[in-house]
Amino acid sequence: MSMERELQILWAAIVAYVLGGVLSIVGVVLRRHPERTVMGFLAAGLTLHTVSIGLRWARLEHGPFITMFEILSSNVWSLMVVFLLAYWRMPRIRATAAVVMPVLFVMMGWLMLSHPGEGFFPPTYRTPWLFIHIGMAKVFMGAMLVALGVAGVILLRRAGIGVQKFERLPDDKRLDELAFRCLAIALIFDTLMLITGAIWAQDAWGRYWAWDPLETWSFITWLLLAIALHIRVTFKPSPHRTAWLVVAVFVLGFVTFFGVPFISESPHKGAV
Amino acid sequence: MIVLPSRSRQDGESARTMPTFTALLRSLASLRLTLVLLAVLGVAILLAYQSESWRSWPLAVPLAALSINLLAAVGTNGIFRRQLPLLIFHLALVALLLLVAAGRLSYLKGTLELAEGATFEGRLVTTDAGPFHLGNLAAVRFVNEGFAIDYARGLRRGPTRNAVSWVDEQGRRRQDVIGDQHPLKIKGYRFYTSFNKGFAPVFLWAPERGEAQLGAVHLPAYPKHELNQAQEWSPPGSRAPVWIMLKFDEKLLDPSGPSTFRLPEKYSLVVRFGERRVELQPGQSLDLPDGRLEFRELKTWMGYDVFYDWTLPWLAAASLAAVLSLGWHFWRKFAAKPWDA
Ligand code: HEM
Repeated sequence: MSMERELQILWAAIVAYVLGGVLSIVGVVLRRHPERTVMGFLAAGLTLHTVSIGLRWARLEHGPFITMFEILSSNVWSLMVVFLLAYWRMPRIRATAAVVMPVLFVMMGWLMLSHPGEGFFPPTYRTPWLFIHIGMAKVFMGAMLVALGVAGVILLRRAGIGVQKFERLPDDKRLDELAFRCLAIALIFDTLMLITGAIWAQDAWGRYWAWDPLETWSFITWLLLAIALHIRVTFKPSPHRTAWLVVAVFVLGFVTFFGVPFISESPHKGAV
Repeated sequence: MIVLPSRSRQDGESARTMPTFTALLRSLASLRLTLVLLAVLGVAILLAYQSESWRSWPLAVPLAALSINLLAAVGTNGIFRRQLPLLIFHLALVALLLLVAAGRLSYLKGTLELAEGATFEGRLVTTDAGPFHLGNLAAVRFVNEGFAIDYARGLRRGPTRNAVSWVDEQGRRRQDVIGDQHPLKIKGYRFYTSFNKGFAPVFLWAPERGEAQLGAVHLPAYPKHELNQAQEWSPPGSRAPVWIMLKFDEKLLDPSGPSTFRLPEKYSLVVRFGERRVELQPGQSLDLPDGRLEFRELKTWMGYDVFYDWTLPWLAAASLAAVLSLGWHFWRKFAAKPWDA
């Protein structure tokens, strides 16, 4: 099948995501609850997106891990999977979609602007560690995204913007607890990502650590997570302060994931 | 919390020193200090990233301080006694740190090149080792039995398949195909194939006095230095520098389609010596002032990276302990209350 068909399906998926996302924002603004429709759109988008990625995978005989287009596409996909799961399983925080979806819109816009051409799949990528390492990274970012949605609501409420609009959500204290749990999950998977990355790097490049940009920034992100959790136990900060910490970790994680591969041509400097 | 032993009240000396010691330990265990040190470590990591010269003390100092901070906390903060997984997690972090430090003191990193059929005899081209490297590289032997590499369109290198053989501890001859993420492991050393490889003319050098010797000269890496397949070198024991160049017209690796690394079918070896220039075919020879040089055949050579770090399996174990205990800690904590916020 041709690349055009894959792209058409991808665009259809994005349209479904955008409809779901816009509807969730409108729902919050108008204080309506079109939650089943939102979930339907997001699930439809995810299904189409899965088909598009699957077709590309079959055509190129490798997964979406090489070019910026592929990295963005597979991350929008995995973030949608995690968020949809949270949306489905935690009905009380569904309105966080109004915070989360705009972040995903940015990624989708970037995805549409990036070049869908084929990249080179280096020999060192032919290993199960590829999936394990990237899988851990995706769960980490997914947990951070859910945390960001929750933190966003806390901050919007504090800014006086969403006090009534978000009234159906739990109070700040409970949101804070949820954001903290997401941070904890993020730390576990970030740790796993670093460990599996080091094991793979030892095999592929003969060293477990070499200060390449992605390694270094991932480590700093991990450290910031540790700092955030320690600030929580040391100072017991108010929910909105914790929310800022969540935003900081998310931004650093986001810049590491999508900013660093953007400036160096391969995901890792030593990859090819 | 440390409970002072009652005997210290009777002993005037320790009654004065113990509380100050405990107080000191408590202040060393401060969680605020942890935050400051973690932030300092973050800055140190950024410096280390910028420059190689910042990769030892600037990292070691905050890491050592964090360890002291943590060990003081383990000694004085009751939470570590109440929460075993949290204790294991933090101790695993200290273990990781000590292992990395030990690894830095005893590692070895190096490169070597071997022509097809040649045996590694413990000599490296470049070496970088910690001050306490105790491995026995001199005793390691293996033979490069030749390699195959396929290239995709655009000269994109596919997997490297390098046949190697060696004699194991029991004296049995062993064989394997290594390449990319599959190194050869002998006596704790890991040998990785590298992108560095090329052609190696093999010579028989018969000096006027002494025994004839067979040896290979490694030409610059191919295809990296495709246009410079020349090398100047002197036969062993000879003072005369000889310049050689591999000459062939074929396109060995074709960017427009798939191809395989191979020897040229037709080639000759240009040899320049002083004012003289001759072209040799395999089997032909040339008389030099202090001996006779015969061009035997053309082979390939492979460049290897070697790495030694005995801490690797322990690092893996400590990492596993860290992540499992972290998971355990949070599992226990979160299972106590329901998830739906
Ligand atoms: C980069 C290194 C470190 C990481 C990743 C880390 C991570 C963590 C994590 C995840 C928790 C659990 C938080 C919770 O359950 O809410 C924790 C708690 C704790 N950490 Fe660390 N830690 C590090 C270094 C240290 C150091 C150097 C100390 C030394 C004082 C320390 C002392 C503690 C203490 C006392 C607690 C328990 C706090 C409480 O629950 O009251 N940690 N740490």
